[in-house]
Amino acid sequence: MDEHIVMVDAGTGLELTEKQLDERSAIATVQLRRRGVRAGDTVLVCLPVGPDLLVAADAVMAAGGVVWPVPVDLDRAGLGERIRASGARVMISDVPAALEAAEESRVRIVMSVAELNGRHPYPNSRGQSTESDRVDPAGGGDLAEM
Amino acid sequence: MTPPVPHNLPAEPNRFVGRGRDLIELSTLVHDERVVTLSGIGGIGKTRLSLRVAARAAPGFADGVWLVELARVADPALIVNEIAGVLGVRDEAPGRLLDGLRVRLREARALIVLDNCEHLVDRCAELVAGLIADCPELRFLLTSREPLHIPGELVWRVPPLELPDDHHPDAESVLLFVERALAAGARSVTGSMDDVVRLCRALDGLPLALELAAARTSLMSPGRIADRIGDRFTLLTRGDRTAPARQRTLLATVEWSHDLLRPKERVLLRRLSVFAGLFDLAVAERVCADGGIVRRAELLDLLSGLVDKSLVLHHDGRYRLLETIRQYAAERLAEAGELTRLRDRHLRVICEEMEFCYQAGALDPRMPWPARVPHFARGRALMDDCRAAVERAVESADPVLGLRLARAALAILAVRGELGETVGWHRRLLALDLSRVPSDVVAVAKGGLAYGLEICDELARAEELVVQGVEEQKRHPYTHWLGVTYSVALAVFFRTGQSEKALRYLEELEAAATAHDDPFNLATVRIAQLNLALFRGQLRQARRRGEEALALAREAGHHWTLARALTHLGAVAEAAGDLEAAVTCHTSALPLLEDMGNRVELARCQAKLGRVSARMHDYPAARLHLAASLALSTRTGQRRGVVRALMAMSALAGEQGDLEGAVLAAAAATALREAIGQYGVPGPVQELLTRARGGLGEGRVSLLWAKGARQSPEEVARRVLDPGQAVPAGGPRPVNGSWQSGLTGRELEIAALLTGGLSNRAIALKLVISPATVARHVANIMEKLGFASRAQIAVWATEHGLESHPT
Repeated sequence: MDEHIVMVDAGTGLELTEKQLDERSAIATVQLRRRGVRAGDTVLVCLPVGPDLLVAADAVMAAGGVVWPVPVDLDRAGLGERIRASGARVMISDVPAALEAAEESRVRIVMSVAELNGRHPYPNSRGQSTESDRVDPAGGGDLAEM
Repeated sequence: MTPPVPHNLPAEPNRFVGRGRDLIELSTLVHDERVVTLSGIGGIGKTRLSLRVAARAAPGFADGVWLVELARVADPALIVNEIAGVLGVRDEAPGRLLDGLRVRLREARALIVLDNCEHLVDRCAELVAGLIADCPELRFLLTSREPLHIPGELVWRVPPLELPDDHHPDAESVLLFVERALAAGARSVTGSMDDVVRLCRALDGLPLALELAAARTSLMSPGRIADRIGDRFTLLTRGDRTAPARQRTLLATVEWSHDLLRPKERVLLRRLSVFAGLFDLAVAERVCADGGIVRRAELLDLLSGLVDKSLVLHHDGRYRLLETIRQYAAERLAEAGELTRLRDRHLRVICEEMEFCYQAGALDPRMPWPARVPHFARGRALMDDCRAAVERAVESADPVLGLRLARAALAILAVRGELGETVGWHRRLLALDLSRVPSDVVAVAKGGLAYGLEICDELARAEELVVQGVEEQKRHPYTHWLGVTYSVALAVFFRTGQSEKALRYLEELEAAATAHDDPFNLATVRIAQLNLALFRGQLRQARRRGEEALALAREAGHHWTLARALTHLGAVAEAAGDLEAAVTCHTSALPLLEDMGNRVELARCQAKLGRVSARMHDYPAARLHLAASLALSTRTGQRRGVVRALMAMSALAGEQGDLEGAVLAAAAATALREAIGQYGVPGPVQELLTRARGGLGEGRVSLLWAKGARQSPEEVARRVLDPGQAVPAGGPRPVNGSWQSGLTGRELEIAALLTGGLSNRAIALKLVISPATVARHVANIMEKLGFASRAQIAVWATEHGLESHPT
């Protein structure tokens, strides 16, 4: 198959092939649906211009949703205004200012790019879970002190 | 019909309004995601929403939906206790609750709702992450102002209710306000809808704010409330002015509602914040009335006034404060300079209440059991307040009331076999300066701590403490406690093989209990004598002592002693080979233990019945008893109990000539014993192995041993208790993807094209549809087949003979 390139990231020079775009947006669409995005829903997308933005927009459309883009460089008030105006339930963003601005909105779920890519890191085991719990009973002091 | 899902969700106090789509989505999410956190400010409705979601999602959780309220838990170390308490997991040995929780939840398909995590985020994060890693079917739904920030947590931000606009004048917020206003007896609310809309907007759709405002509509019109609250925002006196708007709106509303209270109501509200959770009128009167500002006789009126204003919730004769209100009230209490005084009063009242429950339920040497039960139940209901009171005793370095409280609590909790938490209390309180504590109180407390240490096998330290406890108490007039302390000493001496010392204490206790007409402790003496005789092989003597114990227990009317006498007599009968009598004794103990809710002893009793039934070749009965025993021990998280059930299963299989099953069960039991630090292979297992090697061959036995050691107790039980089902039911699950995959014609067509490696754009050209439509179909296929990439579709399509036909 030919490696048809659909985007070049101006900053990094990295290329996104058509195949990668198709694959990534298919995964992202499933993730959006799992979080309840349905036909006709507005989804906020606040990401820097680049491959992630393209994937996110494609995925929202494929999920039947309406893309509501928000520029990343707006000030806090501007972000808040755009976010509230959308009435969206879901926002795709990694931008700290946008995450903060979403606090006072009706956004229920914020998805990071990692989550959009279906990465759902799960610990199979964590140190503290496999060892036995000798939890200090109620902060109890050492017996020897009594 | 599927059986009803077990749960502890409270009945809803009033109608739930709005959030229709959120409920539908969240009920699905709590199945798909392992941890869902509902986040948002206090008063936005997280708790209410979580309860609704949990109830809606319940049918998918066969092992239950469990609400654990954390608001009243101050100490992060006690979160485990709280969860264990709700799930019925008992302390195997103090401090081992988390292990018990894992036993309980390992195979459970359950949803745990942790409500109000914000003040315990770190420990919650650690616990939740650990439990989901160990328990694959477990799900969590959390409410917290702050997310836990653990991998895989889905943070779901709870928004306020929808606000009305020109197109939707009947938005959620309006519906809630009108509903509550009508319930509060307002008549004219619907006549001034413009004002209602204005008020809902002013309150930002915040449910708690709407409820507080609606509770006032019987006296004040919505328009006036809107004006008043509008003024508040500019005059907000307390709190952070830079806090988010919603938080300020809520605080302003709470403050407005508070300031409208009569002065006495305000005093009561702030004082009620010292209660840890639910409280009743009697305790509220004792803690909050002072004879001056708030008199006892007017407390009910004041309390009802607060209920009418939605500041206090009332159900089933008990009251509570919503967490957001409780925090506000606690701040007012501190501001008024009453915090210390109220907490001290709370400590004293709770101590006296617990002592009363203990005395009423246990002190009368002859009292029918049904007359005792309500007092024990009332004592258990005070546990949350006990915890807060002990906290105060430790903080104020005043151990006397704390130790008296712990002593009473110990007696009440021992009936159900739940000592765990009081051990920690004793430990902390005994670590304080005891110079001003009466020496008999200290002596009893030492016995109490020794009780807990004996259970967790710290025998040397237990012995030291309990001997001090007995010797000191002997210098004071006889009390019931002396008998209890003696019995702990006896247990320690027996276990450490010091029969001389045991005998001496036994004689002392016998003399004291006889002289002071204490049938409860005299029965303890008889049971200890039975044990001693049984140990020495004097079976007739043992039986006689058991019968005396039984008669004393009947006389005292204490079911706990009665059950102990019966199970000990059963053990004697079994040793004497009188299996019928053993069954009779154990069977009579069952309903007593069940009634007391002592499920740890119940599991032990069921295991014994299983073992005896197996020896009598009554296999169907043996299977029933052993299945019940295993289930009880799993649900209470008792690994020793699970070991006991497995060993009895091994014996059952052996009796039936099923050597393979016997080896499997023994191997599983031995592996679990090692996991809890008990090493070595017990005699009966070694005998079994010798027999099995003769019958099955060395190689086969090692293979079975290795297999059994890896299997879960449930798997082994399925194999041994239901020999027809050597293979797990159902067999391997069919892999997703058959012709019944539910794909449409168009989707199958696209799946076929993907085998040729075509891009969405290429497929779109081929099928003359848009690339976005292709993408939607691809996502549909992935969802239906549970795939995570396009490549998987291609593989699946090829395997199912779907080929692209290049044209």
